[in-house]
Amino acid sequence: MTEHRRYFDEISLGEECESPGRTVTEADIVMFAGLSGDYNVLHTDAEFMKQSIFGERIAHGLLCLAIQSGLFSRASVPYATLAFAGLRWKFKAPVKIGDTIRLRAKVTAKKDLSKADRGLVTLERTVLNQRDEVVQQGETDLIVEKRR
Amino acid sequence: MRGTYFEDVVVDKITTSPAITVTETHVAMYLGVTRELPVGPAPVPDVLPLCMTIGLGWRIKDPPMAVLAFVGLDWKVVKPLRVGDTMHSRSRILSKRAMRDGGIVVEERSIVDQHGEVVQQGRFTFLVAKRHKEASA
Repeated sequence: MTEHRRYFDEISLGEECESPGRTVTEADIVMFAGLSGDYNVLHTDAEFMKQSIFGERIAHGLLCLAIQSGLFSRASVPYATLAFAGLRWKFKAPVKIGDTIRLRAKVTAKKDLSKADRGLVTLERTVLNQRDEVVQQGETDLIVEKRR
Repeated sequence: MRGTYFEDVVVDKITTSPAITVTETHVAMYLGVTRELPVGPAPVPDVLPLCMTIGLGWRIKDPPMAVLAFVGLDWKVVKPLRVGDTMHSRSRILSKRAMRDGGIVVEERSIVDQHGEVVQQGRFTFLVAKRHKEASA
C-alpha cells in the first residue's frame, strides 16, 4: 500500500477516474447479511427469489455501495480524507450473484470549509455492471485535508 | 413476502431499535468485504453504521417493512463512531405514496450513540410490497 495521499489542493475539478472491476459473489452477500443483520428474503431466500421479478437473489444495495467505496480507493491515488460527510444516492438496478461492478467517479465541486486546514470534495459516482448498465448513482461529499 | 405491508405502514410512526456495540470484528469483516482503506483517524468506516442500522430494523417488535427495493438515500455523517461505541437507530415514517405494484415509503432515520448523540442521519426511500389477497386472509 502506498503512503502517498493526495491533498485537497492536488485534486482538480472535473478530474475523472475508473476503478477495476469486482465480481459480487454469493460469499459477499452471505458475509454482508451476517455483518449488517439484513436478512431480507431478497438477499437470502433462493427459492422465494426464483418466483420474483429478479429470478434469483440480489445483492444488498448497501453492499454494493460499500464495495464501490472500496473500489474508489483502488481507482486513483487515495485522498487525504479526514471524514466522509454524506451522500445522495439512488439504487437503479439490481446486482446479481456473479455480476461484475466497477466505479466511475468525477470531481464535480470543491469548496473551502470554515476550518482552514480542510476542504469539501464532491464526487459524482456511477456504478456500472459488466453490460455497462448503471446500477447505482449518486454524489458523495468527502472532507479532505489541505497541504500544510 | 412477509412483513409490514405498504397498507399497514403508519405515517409519523416513530420506531426505536435495540442497540448494538460496534466491535473490531465488525470493522475487520467490513474491511474484508469492501477492501475499503481506513479513512482518516476514525477507526469505524462511516458506511459501516449505515449498513448496521438496516439490520437493527429487523430486531424491533413489529415485523420489518416488506421492502421490494431500496430506492435511494440522502445521508449525512454528523460525527465519527469509534470501536466500543454502542449505536441504535430512531426512525420516523415521513410519507407514503401508493403505486401500482407496491408503494413508496420515505423514512427519516438517525443513528444515535450511547450518549444519546446523533452520529449519522438522513432519509431512506423504499419500495414496499402491498398485501397479497391470500396473505391478508
